[in-house]
Amino acid sequence: MKLGLACDCGPPPSEVLDLLERSGLRTAALRAVSGPALLHAGDTTWLLAPGADVLEACVRGALDAGVAGKDLLLELAPQVHELLDLRVCRDVLVYATPEPDAGAFRRGRPRVATRYPRLTRRHFAATGRQVELVAFGASPLAPGLGIADGAVELRRRLVLDEGSAGAPDGLRVREEVAACSARLVVGRAARALAGERLAELLEGLRASLEEL
Amino acid sequence: MIPEGMRDVLPPETGQLRAIETTLCRRFEAYGYGEVRTPWLEYAETLETVEDDTLEAGYRLRDQQGHELMARTDMTVPVARLAAARFRDRPLPLRFFYVASCIRPWAPQRSQDGEFMQAGAELLGVRSAAADAESVILLCDCLAELGLRGFRVALGTVAFYTALVDSLGLDDDREKFLEALADRDYPLLESIAGNAGVDQAALTVLWRTLELSGTRDALGQVRKMASSDDMDAAIRHLVDVRDLVADAGFEDALTLDFGLYQDLTYYSGVIFEAYAPGVGLPIASGGRYDGLLDRFAWDISGVGFAIAVNRLHEALEEAGAVPSAGPACIAFAGGLDEPARAMDLRRAGWAVAALPADAPAPPRPRLHRSGSAYILELADGSEASGSWRDILRALGIA
Repeated sequence: MKLGLACDCGPPPSEVLDLLERSGLRTAALRAVSGPALLHAGDTTWLLAPGADVLEACVRGALDAGVAGKDLLLELAPQVHELLDLRVCRDVLVYATPEPDAGAFRRGRPRVATRYPRLTRRHFAATGRQVELVAFGASPLAPGLGIADGAVELRRRLVLDEGSAGAPDGLRVREEVAACSARLVVGRAARALAGERLAELLEGLRASLEEL
Repeated sequence: MIPEGMRDVLPPETGQLRAIETTLCRRFEAYGYGEVRTPWLEYAETLETVEDDTLEAGYRLRDQQGHELMARTDMTVPVARLAAARFRDRPLPLRFFYVASCIRPWAPQRSQDGEFMQAGAELLGVRSAAADAESVILLCDCLAELGLRGFRVALGTVAFYTALVDSLGLDDDREKFLEALADRDYPLLESIAGNAGVDQAALTVLWRTLELSGTRDALGQVRKMASSDDMDAAIRHLVDVRDLVADAGFEDALTLDFGLYQDLTYYSGVIFEAYAPGVGLPIASGGRYDGLLDRFAWDISGVGFAIAVNRLHEALEEAGAVPSAGPACIAFAGGLDEPARAMDLRRAGWAVAALPADAPAPPRPRLHRSGSAYILELADGSEASGSWRDILRALGIA
């Protein structure tokens, strides 16, 4: 079995590993490893890499299945099949701006910083608004730098201003863009070429999701 | 510089591709299919008859009279257009094949070149499981003939889902639901179904069928779940196709996939995709398109498939089964000055590239002169030298 797990700089999220463990996969060897890495443990090969890489490896048929965030699936729209919502690593992509919301008033076309340009463009276009996209990895910092009026980012990555004593760069959530969580994805050929292995994995994951 | 997404193809790949295409053509001909060639430019109106979203981005231009033209994005529609325009008075069935490049604006996430070669076969005018089976058998036969080990053909049916989705009672969400089904975005399917408050029993059937695959009794299970005559008929049809393909000896390559669904407006019945180890995207896809010819005002049915030749080449590379492009070419230093000698070898079936006598030493296999003696050095390390007769003898030419 070849599996990919999306992880940024550290080890894969423990919520994902716990779920896999309950589904019958041995994940002990993965907990101390920081990606990117390619590991062989028992009869499973693990790819720990950024989510976009995991998706690319699935598309190209190098993995039987992968776990990646819905945020990346929305942004990259890769040719994979999304089989299961793992209901872990839940978060919400939000549009947030500093207080007061300068962008809403000062500009007819607010500048929006984000690491998700395609998704952000789609979101605002679908609601009939024009924005200027600012491709910026640390998007919550962009308004403080004066290069954007707001940011589209996962809620947990924002420094949120929840009241009077908020951080100077704190942002307030203005709207939700999309709910996100970890998803099990497979390449288009995986089902035909690795059907049995995949069915076993799915069954295990479903069973442990229902226990919750 | 060439436009983004386009590519040049160089030797030896060109030769390998041609060898693949030749094998495919021979297989198509062995089943009685005749080759057609159509122009790569069609009236935009012609291609737009299928109302496929991917066409929106197609390359368009205008002719001198102001007609809108479009570069063909696939071959199924041009073949349907050609059949309806030129073959109405011929006895059915009609069998056509093509090897042709199609052009679509390049998008990185599609992992496909902007221009890609398709080799396909279309069987028109027979509406039966046997016709569907022939199409699947021909595809399997093509892949087997090329020595592609471990390929799988997934077999599904659009008709089953059309009937099932009808029974779910979705109104406004029907299109979105089918799109999510085609993308296999199951969490999205679940949420659409949840919001629309669809019938739980029907939804259970959907989930169960999406899970089933491969096994022989999967078909029986799905039949038991079928809640309407249309669904039952679709499954029976699939069983018949499966049995016929198994009869032809390709049972091992077949897998059933009830989740296979394509959001192409012209597919109406059985659909199938072929996969090979090491290649993530389908190397071929096809299906039944009974409504397509009707759009050209000729109500006959059709079934066919197209092989993505470049992906097939990639799969053959993975399997170590790339056909060779022909005999290795002997570089003959001095051959330009001795055309008669070079011809001796070519007549005997060797490929010879003639070079000037002072050409820098080319890689093996090579032939050159040292004084009056010829020296032949072959790719396997063997060597021969001496008179021209000695060289001919070394090459097995009497």
